[in-house]
Amino acid sequence: MGVTCVCQVPVAEGKSVQQTVDQLHKKLEQLGGVKQGSFFVDCETYHTTGNASGQPSKLLYVMHNSETPLSCLALYEGGPYLTADANFDVLMVKLKSHFQNAKGHKVESRGARYRYCDFLVKLGTVTMSSSARGISVEVEYCACVVPGDCWNLMKEFMQSFLGSNAPEIPSVFTSKPEGLFAPADCMDTMSQYLELFSKVRKQQVLPGSSVR
Amino acid sequence: MEAPPVTVMPVTGGTINMMEYLLQGSVLDQSLDSLLHRLRGLCDNMEPESFADHELVYLLKGQQGNPFILRARRSLAHPTAPWHLRYLGQPEVGDKSRHALVRNCVDVSASHSLPDFLNEMGFRMDHEFVAKGHIFRKGVLKVVVSKLSRVLVPGNTDNTEPLSLSYLVELSVLAPAGQDTVSEDMRSFAEQLKPLVHLEKIDPKRLM
Repeated sequence: MGVTCVCQVPVAEGKSVQQTVDQLHKKLEQLGGVKQGSFFVDCETYHTTGNASGQPSKLLYVMHNSETPLSCLALYEGGPYLTADANFDVLMVKLKSHFQNAKGHKVESRGARYRYCDFLVKLGTVTMSSSARGISVEVEYCACVVPGDCWNLMKEFMQSFLGSNAPEIPSVFTSKPEGLFAPADCMDTMSQYLELFSKVRKQQVLPGSSVR
Repeated sequence: MEAPPVTVMPVTGGTINMMEYLLQGSVLDQSLDSLLHRLRGLCDNMEPESFADHELVYLLKGQQGNPFILRARRSLAHPTAPWHLRYLGQPEVGDKSRHALVRNCVDVSASHSLPDFLNEMGFRMDHEFVAKGHIFRKGVLKVVVSKLSRVLVPGNTDNTEPLSLSYLVELSVLAPAGQDTVSEDMRSFAEQLKPLVHLEKIDPKRLM
């Protein structure tokens, strides 16, 4: 698990989500990227039922990543995170009288997985309720685990196929202590996806978005 | 760097419901050695495995009904090992002639942020204890002989006091729902441990 950056790419002017994704595929293939299967990342939302104190209940997000198929990641926005095995989903089913699954809020990103030397690039179409809402790009530099050491290289690589859409350093890395060995872990990737999915949920439905 | 298999099958709800079959008993401290000796003879040939665990029991109080109980367990002998979270359902009320206590069981391995996460979910720690002892296996049967100790200062597992002058003996099997031959095998194994220890089906409701 190397340093991973997740960003959202806007849909190209006058094109559909699918066409923009295809353009990105072409660019990566021209660079020399080799397609290696597919990936998916999904996120389900749970909220507590019947809050006695009357406060708005915090949302619990349960995410899965095809890169770690036996794991289940549970997150509270900004709050504690938990890495658990796949049985955590079964436990959430048992807890259904306390935590309700907001089924309409499930967001997922599915797409192709490319390998280019030490980089793993995942181009995904973000969908919510079967409608495409955006494009996610995940770039992992597998050779390094310290974000500070390889960010410049990653940014340069992302600029080569994303152009001006290449992102700034993600906030999960800037909050890590400067100068100390602070390895990135899968939680950093998942919290970036969570941020992206939250943005997508708040966005309007894109005109002409493909229905699966 | 090969892509891991992408599964399109949902994991939720469709997983096999695992059931725990349980028989419990106890032995006084002075009889421990003879019991361990008998178990070493009866069980699978392996290095005697001892353990030291710290278990915290969390409750989630809902609006109605009984609180939801979750048990979080970590190893004191292997501090870097993941936490083990366990949910145990209500005992199945079925056949009176069924020899073991049967209840639904969900086991989840979790990272070290588990206590904070459970607190964020609304769970509150009800009590904690330390269990130290030995574990034996015979096929799918698991025998755990443990000494339970009370934690005197919350969070401090070095300062403990034994709860009793006995060791708790538990014979359990984890199997998918519907396999009733399991309790027969457990009963015949329990017979071989008599008269050192009497393992029986103890209904937790009767103790409350």
